[in-house]
Order: sequence, then structure tokens, then C-alpha cells
Amino acid sequence: MSDTALRTEGLTKRFGDVVALDHLDLEVAQGEVVGYLGPNGAGKTTTIRLLLGLSRPTAGRAEIFGLDCQRKPVETHRRLAFVAGEANLWRSLTGAETLALLGRVHGQVDEAYRDELIERFDLDPTKKVRSYSKGNHQKVILIAALMVRPDLLILDEPTSGLDPLMEQAFRHCVQEARGRGQTVFLSSHMMSEVEALCDRVGILRDGKLVEMGTLAEMRHLSALTVEARFDGSIPDLSVVPGVSAVEADGSLVRCQVRGSIEPLVKVLAAAGVTELLSHEPSLEELFLAQYGEDGHAG
Amino acid sequence: MLADSGIRAQITAPVRAAGSPRTVVAAFNTRKAVRSGVLWGSIFGIAIASSEVSYVKLYKTAVQRQALAATYGTSKAASALFGPAPQLQTVSGFTVFKISMTLMVLGAVWGLLTSTRLLRGEEDSGRWDLLLCGQTTRRGATAQVIVGLGVGLGTLWAVTAIITVLSGLQSSVRISAGASLYFSLTMVATAAMFLAVGALTSQLAATRRQAASFAAVFLGISYGIRLIADAGVGLHGLIWASPLGWVEELSPLTAPQPLAFLPIAAFTVAVGSLAVHLAGRRDVGASIVADRDRGGVHLGLLYGPSGLAIRLLRARVTGWWVAIGLSAFLYGFIAKSTGATVSGSVKEVFSKLGANGNGAAAVFGLCFLLEAILIGFVAAGQVTAVRSEESDGTLDNFLVRPVSRSTWLGGRLLVALVVLVLSGIFAGVLGWLGAASQHTGLSFTSLLEAGINLVPPAIVILGIGVLTFGIRPRATSIVVYTVLGWSLLIVIVGGFGTLGHWVLDTSVFHHMASAPGVPPNWEANGIMTAVGVAAALVGGLAVRRRDLQGA
Repeated sequence: MSDTALRTEGLTKRFGDVVALDHLDLEVAQGEVVGYLGPNGAGKTTTIRLLLGLSRPTAGRAEIFGLDCQRKPVETHRRLAFVAGEANLWRSLTGAETLALLGRVHGQVDEAYRDELIERFDLDPTKKVRSYSKGNHQKVILIAALMVRPDLLILDEPTSGLDPLMEQAFRHCVQEARGRGQTVFLSSHMMSEVEALCDRVGILRDGKLVEMGTLAEMRHLSALTVEARFDGSIPDLSVVPGVSAVEADGSLVRCQVRGSIEPLVKVLAAAGVTELLSHEPSLEELFLAQYGEDGHAG
Repeated sequence: MLADSGIRAQITAPVRAAGSPRTVVAAFNTRKAVRSGVLWGSIFGIAIASSEVSYVKLYKTAVQRQALAATYGTSKAASALFGPAPQLQTVSGFTVFKISMTLMVLGAVWGLLTSTRLLRGEEDSGRWDLLLCGQTTRRGATAQVIVGLGVGLGTLWAVTAIITVLSGLQSSVRISAGASLYFSLTMVATAAMFLAVGALTSQLAATRRQAASFAAVFLGISYGIRLIADAGVGLHGLIWASPLGWVEELSPLTAPQPLAFLPIAAFTVAVGSLAVHLAGRRDVGASIVADRDRGGVHLGLLYGPSGLAIRLLRARVTGWWVAIGLSAFLYGFIAKSTGATVSGSVKEVFSKLGANGNGAAAVFGLCFLLEAILIGFVAAGQVTAVRSEESDGTLDNFLVRPVSRSTWLGGRLLVALVVLVLSGIFAGVLGWLGAASQHTGLSFTSLLEAGINLVPPAIVILGIGVLTFGIRPRATSIVVYTVLGWSLLIVIVGGFGTLGHWVLDTSVFHHMASAPGVPPNWEANGIMTAVGVAAALVGGLAVRRRDLQGA
């Protein structure tokens, strides 16, 4: 029995001359919650469609629980559930009929949990799908995925259209899933969501995986942000080893430090610092550092 | 870098506005309606021209023409089905009799489908919201779509008229340009009325399918009233209660009555105006006829993709079955009286149309060709429904669960096959019931066989559709309807001996024996079925090996 829930080796997808995914090597252990980040067009949804067998790879392979995603799609799908960012449902069915259909197709449903989820997400299952808002569409496919208690949850922008209260309910469900040992692969634009839920994060850029690790590991690779306020004159921090991006605003100076902070602390102490704040980069800052402040790959 | 800077220059260049922002909805919809008008106008024109030419080729002498007029000119059953048949001894009279009712109904179907697609269909998809964010209102945008539909209607008429006038000017046909223009105008009159009806039902109904169904029911009632009025049972006054009756009263090419345009124009303007008015009085996405937003939990058939397909398609398929069954019954009803006159030159006509045999059986052979065309449309509808599941993304819901592509497609095709076989059986059984009611003497077995005989051409259409779906999914609809339209065109034109055998062979209907006039050709049926199944298998293999593709 493999401990790996999901593995890709050299997974590549081209659309004509466009390389949507370029030799992706990825491994997710069972029970992990992994975030998958990248701007629009980076290759996140392409990766997921390859994992689900909806698209065929140009090269490489993908496995879920040791089974080839292309050759054994039915077997892999028995152990997973998927939530898309945009729910395409049958407009003439009610929410309850949709959940019944999707449950029957999957083959196993925890009915008590399904009913609990309907309450938690405040869904009216008697209404027809065509009368649902976008958020309610999303609730239906979230409940449909969670109610089968799969070993692996593949989520592609799952909270698209949900209000903050429902987002909170979703996070709670993912945390419960993690508690039960389920594996979660979460593609999202919501940094706070990924930061709150994920054990590890992968960052995709132009179809290539450019970062993969825990948040702590990533933060060590990135700069520490320091803010200092002075009574008197402001020292020239740009000459201090490891310091960059120095910005002065009156008596306040903001800068970033890589490596040891000791040289900076000495300079600040000598200059008569009155207030000192430092914080590790947020996931959003790490992400923007990869892509540049304008959000584009650079 | 050079290419990149070129693209940037294009993006940053000021966009030249194409027309006023206040009329952009009209311009956008005009483009779509005109395309459709050109296509259908060509079909209308070719159908009229082929009818005129075929008459001249088949009925060369006055004796033959008088015999035809004597046969059909007084037939009440033929009058009920196809409308009155005055002056059958002339090209004009024959053309009106042969083609006008078909084109009137086709025009109505075109009108209702086009307007519900461009109005309620756009609203269903959510694109209507985007248009309403522009410099327009709900009422204004609806009026603009109707203007676009009007231009499309003008195109339909213009293309029909050009072909009809050119055909009429031939020395052997000799129909004046003025008469041809008037005839073309009458042939698109039902399209005008049903464009308006579709616009109105788009306001009344909650979905496009419902809007089209409402309009189709109105068309069915109109046809039924006209049929009773023309059946010679003393109720001819009812003709003024049916929009199709108004068009019939225009009497093109025989005894023109332009005054009958008055109710047609009044109806079109009134219904169109009502549609615009109602569009301003309701919310976007809502309907005038209250729609049930809630429903009980009905889990019947919701056990998988095939069951769901049956549930979602049953209303549409039932509609087809009603049309097939009802028309087969009517054909059975008139077969005996019409068949009694099938001899001499008429028998020759029937034979050239592919309807061999004697009497009622020959009539059935000809009429069942029309049934085969209807069943062909059912097959095309099934394939496009399969493609729609992929393009609208609902298929993903199954394929991300333990359902393989083969299981899904196999199940869907099995459903389609059962629908086609049952369509053939309905045609045979209902045809027999109609015939039996008139003591025609045709056996149940022979008509059941004739019904099943209609299925193989539809299987070929189904197979070609699945093959296209596997290789070029986005071309599925266009290919399958092109095959059907081409086969139909060959049937219309080719039955009169004007085409070579190799061209005739390209029509799927050409390979079908005209049972029950002659026994079904089971060998040919077996080959057609094998070709259809083989094409579907190749298509199925291709589906397994390709990416899913959205719209």
C-alpha cells in the first residue's frame, strides 16, 4: 500500500505551440493538505484535468494512490472527489435530486453527513438548480464531494462565489477532512485560505513548479520585513549587509533583510531606534515575490 | 520582440466603434439571423425550383397533366394534408400543392427556433445580462433583437426569391418574376409570424426549451385547425382561425389574394409588440408564466448518465414520437383513397420518387420516406444532445466519478438506438392503425416491417455523428445536420432522375427500400446498420483518446 496519494513524473501538456504544463514532478503524501498556487493560465486547472483523466498528457504520467490516472480512471475516481471552480449542473433538477444522482454515481454516500453539510452550508435542496445563485451552485458541488468522504479531495477554486460565512464553513470541513486522514489538493487564489489550511504549498509559474515546500521553508528563503522608527536622523540602511528595498517615510523606515539580521540590529541600536517591528512574509508576499508586485510572471 | 510589440500595439490602439452603442444588439443579432436566413433561403429556393423543374420533366403532355389534376384535385385527404390543389394541370398549381405546406411548416419551425434561441436562449446562458449592461433597456434590447430577426427574415425571403425567380424564368416553366416574388413572400409569411410567436413565448416561458415548446404547441394547433378546415367537412370557415390558414388563403401562383396579408401583418406586429412590452415588465431571468422554482424529490431514472439522459430528453423525444405517430396515422388514413388512383402516369411519378408497388402500399412507400426523414432528425438530435453534455460541462460531473467514457457513451448510444427503433415501430403501428380504420387491407406485419425499415438510415446518421464527435467534437452539429440536409436535398431533387447514381448514393435515404410498396431490403439495411455501428465504434475509440472539449 503506497503512502503517496498523488504523484506526477515529468507531466507535460502542450496545446499546439503553447506549453501549458512543463515536466511537473509533484508528490503529495496521504493525509497532507497541499496548496497549489499560480495566476490565471499558470497551468493549475490543466494539472487537475490531467489528474482526473479529462485531458491526456503530452508526456509524463500521473498516479493517484499508485494507479495510473489515464489507464485506471474509474478506479482512481472511486477514491477521490472533485470540486470545480465553476459548477455546471442540470438546471431542471432540484438540489436534492442532483445530490442523489451524484451520490448514486459515486457509489457511496454518508447520508447523515450529507444532511449535516446541507445545514452547515445553508442550502435549500428543494429548489431547482436554475433558481440557484452562483454561490448555491458551488455549495451543491462542495456537498456532493464532501458527502462521499473520499480519500482524496481535489479542489479547484472551491470557494468561488461563496460568502465569508460559507468560506468559513468550507475551511472547517477541510480541517475535519484532514483530521480524518483525508488528503486534500487545493488549487486557490485565496492566499489566506491556503495559508490557513495547507501543510505545504506549490507555486506554479508558466507551467513550471517553481516552489514547493512548507510555509516555514519558504519563509526562510524569503526576506524578513523590518519597520523602525527613530527620534533623530535616519541611518543609511542600504549599506548594511543583507538589507534591501529600503523606504523612508518621515521618521519611519521600512526594509527587507535576507540572511542574518545581526548587522542590521547593531546599526539600528547605534542610531537610537525607538520602535522596531518585524514580521515574516505572508504567503501573499511570497507569491508576489515570485510574480512581481503587478501579479505577472516576471 | 517585434511580434510582441505588434500585439501590444493592436491591444493599445483605439478601438473603432462599429455602429452606435445603442444599436449594437440589433447589429449583433442581425449577423446571426442573416446567416441562418441565407442557409434556409437556399433550401427553400432549391425545393421550389426542383418542384417546378420536376413537374415539367414528368408531365410533358396535357393528358398527363389532366390525369394528375383529376387524381389529386378532388382528393379531400390530400387537401387536408397538403392544402387545396387547384390547377394541378399547370406548373404553378403543382408547385404550390407539392411544396407550399412543407415550406410553411418549415418556415414556422425556423421562425420559432431562431427567435427563442436569440432571445430566451441568450437569457438562459447569462449573456443577455452582459448586453443589458450596455446602453439599452430590457425593452430596447428585445426590440433590437426583433429588428435583427426582421433582417434575417428579409434575407430568407430574398434568397428564396432569387432562386424562385431564376427558376420561374426558364422557358419550360414560365412563371413571371412578379408571381415568383409573391410566391416567395407567401412562403416566408409563416416564418414572420412564428418569429413573433417565439419572441412572445420567450417572455412567457422560463427556459428556451419551454419557450420553443409553447410555440410548437401553437403551431400544432394552427396546423390542426387548418387540416380540419381543408378536410371538406363543411368547416372551411375555420381557415381564418389559423395563421397557417391565412397563408393558404394568399393562394400564390393560382388565384392571389394579397388582402390575406392583412391578418398576417397585424398578427406579426401585435405579437411582436406584445413581446417587447412584456420584456420591459418582467425581471431578467424571470417569466410571465409562473415557473416552479421548487419541486419534490423524484429519484426515478436518476441512477446514472443513461437514466438522466432519458429523464432530460423524454419530453423532446415524446414530441417527436407524437409527430411521427400522428403523421403515420394520417398517412394510413388517406392511403386507401389516394392509393386507388395510383395508376398510369401517377404510378410512374411514385416510382420515380422511389415508391414502387400498387395502391395504398405505394402511397405508404412514399409517405414513409417522410417518416424516415423525421427519424433522421431524431437521430441528429440525439447526437447533438450527446455533444451538448460535453460542451456545457455537465459531462465532467460523471467523468470525475467512477464512470468511464466508454460506459457513458455506450449508455447514451444505447438510449439513442432504443429511441430510433421505437420511432420506427411507432410509425409502423400507427400507420397500420390509420390504414386499418379505413379497411385498407395492409397487414400489421408488413407495416411493422416498413416501420423498422426506417431505422437503418437514422443509424447511419447516428454513426457519422458519433464519428465526428470523436474526431472533431465541435463540428458534430454542423456535420450531422449537413449529412441530413444533403440527404434530404438529394431526395427532393434526385427522385426525378436528374442526378447520377453516384450522387444519389450519397443520400442515406436512397439506400432504403420504399416499404411496404416493396419488401424491405434487409441486406441493404444490414449494411447501413453495420456502417453506422462501425462509425460509432471508431468514434467511441476516438472519444476515449482525446481531451474533453468545451463549447
